[in-house]
Amino acid sequence: MNLTEGAIAKITSGGATAAELKPTLQVTELKQVHTKQPQQSDRFRLVLSDGSHLQQAMLGTQINHLVKDGNLRPCSVVQLIQYTCTTVQGRINFTGSWHFYASWSAYQQPSPMYSNTGQVAKNDAPPRLMPISALNPYQGRWTIKARVTAKGELRHYNNPRGNGKVFSFDLLDSDGGEIKVTCFNAVADQFYHQIEAGKVYLISRGNLKPAQKNFNHLRNDLEVFLESTSIVQPCFEDDSVIPRQQFNFRSISEVEGMDNNNVVDIIGMVSSITPAASIMRKNGTETQKRTLQLKDMSGRSVEFTLWGSFCNAEGQRLQNMCDSGGFPVLAVKSGRVSDFNGKAVGTISTSQLFIDTDFPEARRLKEWFEKEGRNVPSLSISREMSSVGRADVPKTISQLKDERLGTSETPDWVTVNATVIFIKADNFCYTACPLMSGDRPCNKKVKNNGDGKWRCEKCDQSMDECDYRYILQFQIQDHTSITWVTAFQESGEDLNFSKYEKQDDESFSKIVRQVLFSKSVFKLKVKEETFSDEQRVKSTVVRAEKANYSSQSKFLLDMMEKFKSGNSAPVASNTESTYPNSGANSIGIESSGRPCGPLGSNQGGNKGYIARKFGSLPCEVGQHGNQYSTETNIALGFLHLLFLVTAVVLLAIPQQIALVS
Amino acid sequence: MDTSKPAIFVNGGLLPMHVRKRVRTVVQVIGSDRGAVIGKSTDDQQLSVKGTPPSVPLTNFVEVIGIADSEKSIQAEIWTNFGDTFDTYSYNQLCQLANGECQLLFL
Repeated sequence: MNLTEGAIAKITSGGATAAELKPTLQVTELKQVHTKQPQQSDRFRLVLSDGSHLQQAMLGTQINHLVKDGNLRPCSVVQLIQYTCTTVQGRINFTGSWHFYASWSAYQQPSPMYSNTGQVAKNDAPPRLMPISALNPYQGRWTIKARVTAKGELRHYNNPRGNGKVFSFDLLDSDGGEIKVTCFNAVADQFYHQIEAGKVYLISRGNLKPAQKNFNHLRNDLEVFLESTSIVQPCFEDDSVIPRQQFNFRSISEVEGMDNNNVVDIIGMVSSITPAASIMRKNGTETQKRTLQLKDMSGRSVEFTLWGSFCNAEGQRLQNMCDSGGFPVLAVKSGRVSDFNGKAVGTISTSQLFIDTDFPEARRLKEWFEKEGRNVPSLSISREMSSVGRADVPKTISQLKDERLGTSETPDWVTVNATVIFIKADNFCYTACPLMSGDRPCNKKVKNNGDGKWRCEKCDQSMDECDYRYILQFQIQDHTSITWVTAFQESGEDLNFSKYEKQDDESFSKIVRQVLFSKSVFKLKVKEETFSDEQRVKSTVVRAEKANYSSQSKFLLDMMEKFKSGNSAPVASNTESTYPNSGANSIGIESSGRPCGPLGSNQGGNKGYIARKFGSLPCEVGQHGNQYSTETNIALGFLHLLFLVTAVVLLAIPQQIALVS
Repeated sequence: MDTSKPAIFVNGGLLPMHVRKRVRTVVQVIGSDRGAVIGKSTDDQQLSVKGTPPSVPLTNFVEVIGIADSEKSIQAEIWTNFGDTFDTYSYNQLCQLANGECQLLFL
């Protein structure tokens, strides 16, 4: 192994490029350069010898690890495979990637490291093109030719240093290198209208700085900042060489293992999509959101959320496609992973959505879907929004109190299976403002002006007619405890309170009687509120559904199984079982002022109510509008009750079985 | 609720254990034969239910309460229509629990 004598002289005089000459040199010195900015990665400066000349060089950051691993040391012999030679303040720099031959002891097989393809720019020649991946802060003059893959908005900002505007866009070149370009203030104005997404430009004389990872999700440690002296030239030829968009698709099963807030590209088939809904943001503004399920070949599906403008544009298009029976392929660039409800992905301001495009991955997905994917159920890495509610497992009412739900900053959403026990008949509705605010009616309480008109404070208007909306307060009870809840119009309608048309006491009592003692699955929003110096936990019914006895019975059976297989000792509190956690204290003997009585008679009371109906055909029970006939409903209800009794007694107080017998 | 005449929850397989006792079960009506109603129990066994059914037509699933007079038949006193759909699996589990582990809870 010999050093390539004279190589250095050749390269520095411009007589050879990396494509032609791959010299073997020895590292005589290796020093770490201390950078002024802490975020920048370490830089190493070395001195190379070819036997006759010494030359200073900077190590490309991509191969810093060679020094850190201890592989590259003084006296190491290396072969330069990829390098650039530039003049910086009279010094010459080599950067780029190298092959290297072992350390100073022996000549071993070269271990191939990073090999970068691409052209090399010679410095003193007129600016020639560089691949984006070769850009480095020591580069003097550089030019890149790339396509704009994303163009941001001209944003105005206000920070302690003053006002300003900023505009940024992403570039992609023919080698797949990507970099973000940012302009501020006057420069932003200068270039904002010149840059068009999808077009190719030649850019030079920009500043290279370390990338701010918060705002920049591209795979490059650097960012370009343009100045007024920068040059941006549109390029009209060679359009097809540079790809329009570059993705780094990950499969959904990989997303499962990713950290929160990771930015990722994914592609999948849209298996379902929900209509747009309004969501209140933390800062009080409203925004739209839609969720859809994406399935891919890994057999997993994930919940993908479209926020803001994506909701309306792409969201609506996807909805139309799904409604007409299609299964569109959605490719997402820069979606953010969140760990809400398992793992989910959502859009961010820099996300881009591509529907049914002709990417090879899209075609592969479509083929897979046609063959098998359509029928194969996929495992969701997001917790499904099932009809049971956002909480997977229903909680008992006593858990609401025991676990002090609602006392944290954000409201808690829980599901309970309970029966309506008592409905407060007075003040069951309020006068509401019917004016539309956005796409929802205002619904704020309006006051009687005294002159026959109603005044709304929020809309600042008076009107002749107002809406009447339900504000129902009632008590619900399950086998553990009892609590007051409030339901507004929509959830009231869930419970079969029809729209209030006119003053009709008789039909009102009829409706109330129907709803009383009906069992439902309530989705509650629990929040602690302050009422004149008093902290009280308020529960609002968000949704109410008729209880599905069949599934609840199965759920109870499952729990009994789990308990049995767990251990025979009492209180096997595994995390999924909710019921036993309330411990050995009250079962239905809650000191809330309502005498529930010992377990047997309370349930017996309910059973008695149902049993009374058994003798004759229960035609008058009323229309509940569920899929079971009334008799089945009652029969199942009876069955369910029996299970409930069994489960509760079995799970909560085993020792009391002796008493019962 | 009248608890003076308790009835044991049975299915086809458990009926033989309670001959000459008061039992209750849910059957799916498959047909009638010489005055008796043939039903399929929740564990897919055929049972015969004697007695006078109510004047109203029977739905698909019926609960009968009466004395078990043989291993495969019940002399029913009370008939109750349980509708056209029924969760037989859960009922079956109930029967097993009521006769097995949770016997003490039921009688």
